[in-house]
This record gives sequence, C-alpha cells and structure tokens, in this order.
Amino acid sequence: MTMTDAHYKAPQVAGYADVPLEEKQRLFAEVKNDIRFADYLYGCYECGICVAACPSARFYDFSPRRIAQAAAREDVELFYQQMQEDIWECSQCFSCLRCPRGNNPGGIITIMREVAVGNGLASAREALKAYSRIIYKIMSTGTQVSPDMLQPDAFPDWGPETSDVSAHLDLWRRALPPETLHTTSTGWAVADKTLIELYLIWHHTGALDMIADVDPGLHAILAEVMEERLEEEGIEL
Amino acid sequence: MSSDTIAVIGGGPGGLRAARGIAEIGGSAVLIEQREFLGGTPIAENYAGLTPHNEPAEAAMRRMAEAVTSHPAVQVRLGTQVVAAEGEAGAFTLTLRGPDGREQVGCGAIVLATGFGHFDPGRETQMYGYYEFPDVIALQDLEAMLKVHNVVRPSNGQPPERVCFVQCVGSRDRQIGNEYCSKVCCGVASKEAIEVRQLLPDSKVFIFYIDMRMYGFWESQIYWPAQEQHHVQYIKGIITEVLPTKDGRLLVRGEDTTMGRPMEVPMDLVVLSVGMEPSPGTRAMARLLGVKQDKYGFIHAPGGPLDPVSTDREGIYACGAALGPADLEDTVSSAANAALRAVAYVRSRSLSAAG
Repeated sequence: MTMTDAHYKAPQVAGYADVPLEEKQRLFAEVKNDIRFADYLYGCYECGICVAACPSARFYDFSPRRIAQAAAREDVELFYQQMQEDIWECSQCFSCLRCPRGNNPGGIITIMREVAVGNGLASAREALKAYSRIIYKIMSTGTQVSPDMLQPDAFPDWGPETSDVSAHLDLWRRALPPETLHTTSTGWAVADKTLIELYLIWHHTGALDMIADVDPGLHAILAEVMEERLEEEGIEL
Repeated sequence: MSSDTIAVIGGGPGGLRAARGIAEIGGSAVLIEQREFLGGTPIAENYAGLTPHNEPAEAAMRRMAEAVTSHPAVQVRLGTQVVAAEGEAGAFTLTLRGPDGREQVGCGAIVLATGFGHFDPGRETQMYGYYEFPDVIALQDLEAMLKVHNVVRPSNGQPPERVCFVQCVGSRDRQIGNEYCSKVCCGVASKEAIEVRQLLPDSKVFIFYIDMRMYGFWESQIYWPAQEQHHVQYIKGIITEVLPTKDGRLLVRGEDTTMGRPMEVPMDLVVLSVGMEPSPGTRAMARLLGVKQDKYGFIHAPGGPLDPVSTDREGIYACGAALGPADLEDTVSSAANAALRAVAYVRSRSLSAAG
C-alpha cells in the first residue's frame, strides 16, 4: 500500500490490461533492486526543474518528476501505469540530470524500460514493434543501419539522387577509401571474431532473452542465426 | 541604590546561557525559575534528543545547568516566581515568592528568558481530533515516547505501522491568529521521523507539509538523510481532517498537491507538529514588568534585526523563544547577547555613579 491504492484510477479504462498488485510489486522490486537504482534516485524536492528541462514534457503528458516521485513513494500502481505508458515518451536525452539533488529520472526510465522489455510488457511490445528490423540488424550484424536499407522507395523525400546512389550502391561503396566500408549489407565490415563475441555477449547478458517475449518471431530467427554461427565455431550453448 | 546584580528570569536553555554568560564576564546573576528544576521546556516536556544533532536532551541540559549551579557568581532560586517589580533601570526591586516565602532582590538589569509554550492542538481550526482520538498526538508526546524508546499507539499499546506528521499546526494560520512560522517544527518532525524509522524499521512514515523550512545546515543534517537514508515520505499538501475508520485506524484527508490528486490514507499514529506560542510565564512577566508584547504575545524587540534583545524598557533584555519562535542556536546566541548587554548596562551605571 502506498499513497494511493487504486482509488484514483479505474484500470478498465486504461489502454492495457490490469495485473494483480503482487505483479506490480514484483516489477517495482525488479527496478528498485537494479544496481544502478540507488545512484539514480536520492530524494525528490518535487521542484519541477527536470520537467522544465524536459523536451518530451512539452509535447506529451509526460513528467520526469512524476517518475521520480512514483519511485520514491513506492507507488506501485502509478509506477506500473508509467511502465505501460509514460516511459516510452522519454527521449533519453538526460536533460533531467540537472536535478539539484543529483537524481536521474531518465536513468530510472532506462531501468524501467529494460524491465518492461525483459518482462514482455504490452507497452514494450508496442514500442519495439517498429524497431524489429533495427533490432535484427544490430543483433545479427553488429551494426544498426546498412546502406542497402536506404532504398529510395522507403525514403521518397530524400530526392532523386537517392535512386542514383542505390542503383550503383556496390560501386559507390567500393569508391570509399577504407576497405571496411566496401560492403552494403552492413554499415561496415564486421570481423568474424567480433561477430562471435557479440553473439556471446547477447547470449550471456540475456539481451537475446529480453526480446523473447516482446517479439517471439524475431527472437526465433536471431536464435537460429546465432546458434548456427556459434556451432560453426565449435561453441555449444 | 543601584545594583550590579542581574536577574535572569527563566531557567531553560536561554536563561542558563544568559546566567552563565553574565558570570563568565565578571557579573553576578540571580537565576529565577518557577519550576523545581532547571532545563526548561526540553526537560519539562520530556524531549528525547535535541534538534538537529539529536544529543540526549537530559544530558545536554544537565551540562548547561551544572555550569550555572557550580559558578559562585550565580545564585539559583528554584520553585520561585516573581510576584512584584518596582523601581527603574539600574535599581529594580523584584519580589520573589519561593519555597522559603517572600524575598526581595535588587538588580540593575533583567534578562527575560521565559520561553515558549507548545500550541494547544485543541485550538486548531482543522479537524484533527487531538482530544478525541488517542492516536492523534503532538510532537512533544512523541518525544516522550522516543525518550523511553517505545513508540506505540496510545489506543492499544501496539507499535504503529503507518505514522504521519501534520506540519504547521497552530502556525501560519490567520484563522488562529498565529501568522508566523514556528521555525523548528520542520526540523523537529523530520528528526522524530528518522527516530521512528530507526526504532520501527518496518513502519512507513509520512510528513504532510505546506513548505519544508529546513534552513541552513538542517537541509543536509536532517532533511536529506530523512528522505534518502530513512525513506521518510514528504508529501506537499496539508491534512484537513482526521477521521476514525471501522478497523480502529485513522483516515487522514488532504491533497497530494504535486501529484495533483486528492488523498485519503489510513494511519495508525498521527503526530501534530504544533508550533510555538508565548509561554504563560512570558505573558505574565511582560505584564508584571510593563514590557511591550507584540501582537502574538511575545516580547517586543523594537530595535529590529540588529538589536534583537532590547525591550522597550531600559535595562530589560529578552532572549530565546520569549522573543518569538527560536531554535536552540537562536536561543543561546540571543541569550549571550542579552547577557552582554545587561552586564554592559549595569557597568555603565556604576561607572557614571562612581564618576
């Protein structure tokens, strides 16, 4: 029980499914027990300097102060609501770091997002839907955007030169001096050794597992790619 | 006939500091205390620890009292009241009534150290029910519990799970007539909140406030530790009403202003952060000595901020919470100031008389 209980929010009108209080407490505990949490939240004056500095607060009903307050008050109801809504409105610019108490509301949001993703929250699925291609790219190749992703049909507003470039993409890339850029399917050539290390990092840190719930299809494809590659190297997971 | 003796009225922290100061710079003092003991309100009201550093009040007051009682230049009259005053500055005559009957004391100057009283929460204009609900208590009631390391709900003797402090009770209130801030209650409540959290680690402790006034070093000495290390919850929004619940708890109603929502939350113990008012002794001595009081009944200091201890009567000085809300630093500082002024006054009289 925190300051509010559920008296002021009717869960059935929220845009996400309500869950039992115990589940909210579990999610809150996961955030609070994160090793970074103690350095991100000291005490809140509720002065609003973070909101004044926050670009997102000018466009959304979003307040880094309320993030810090909900966490400080251990208001798990509001905290859960924020994990389903507010945290995805933050641009992670960390303007809120000017807090006189040394709090880091943006950092709390980083942890909340990680926990939301790791627990497959509906908001995380929704937020990451548009990013499946980028997640696929970065986790399978180690680079986020590759030249062949920049096709004129995808970016009609980039002007007529884009189609000229993409028509002879391979040639243009070979004209670039560094040899590592003579590739079109990745941003730069990624060494085999680097890729193997990356796959092991995704695996051991749980980064791969994090997306199992938010995008099972993507997770299956990535797992297959990685396992195949690791097997070739004689690494059994 | 002029006298070099200085009468100090009141034996709390201010009076003790003033009497000691007078003696230390070569004057002589008679310290008059109506109670049977020295130490003033911290002892009479069973304070556990002093704010902000939480030194046990009894030990601290004993130390101050011993410095006075052991000094040959101070005479102490306990259980003694001033019942009449005659004469003028330089040659006052006070009539004292004590355990051994009446006595007249001549003095050249007077230091009023008659202190404050806690605001009576029966006079508050909200509906907190101090005299109605046993689990609604005041700061000094909690001090007495902290002194014996046993914080319980008076209704059932059980430790409270949820405790809240309501700030500004009897202060900053036009309805009540006390428009001033009592200065110390934010710090005292926060200090007590820390102690409750230490004593009852499973408890939740809330402070409902209008502004937190943790001036100077109290910020990092009390406020930040309360919030950051002891997880005391500060909620900006004052309680308007305390109601009983069916299960024997208390429901406090207010607004959580920074979150923009009304709140009705259950509590086991509600602590009213009562402010300061002039003590009955302050009012009585002001009348007896013909010293002007301000609109709240505290001793008026016409000299303003650069002369905070002179009253409107020559040869009469005041210090500490007799002048208005004061913390201990204010009190001992103004007491030393008043001691210096009083000694300087009687010496200047003697010199001119000898001259």
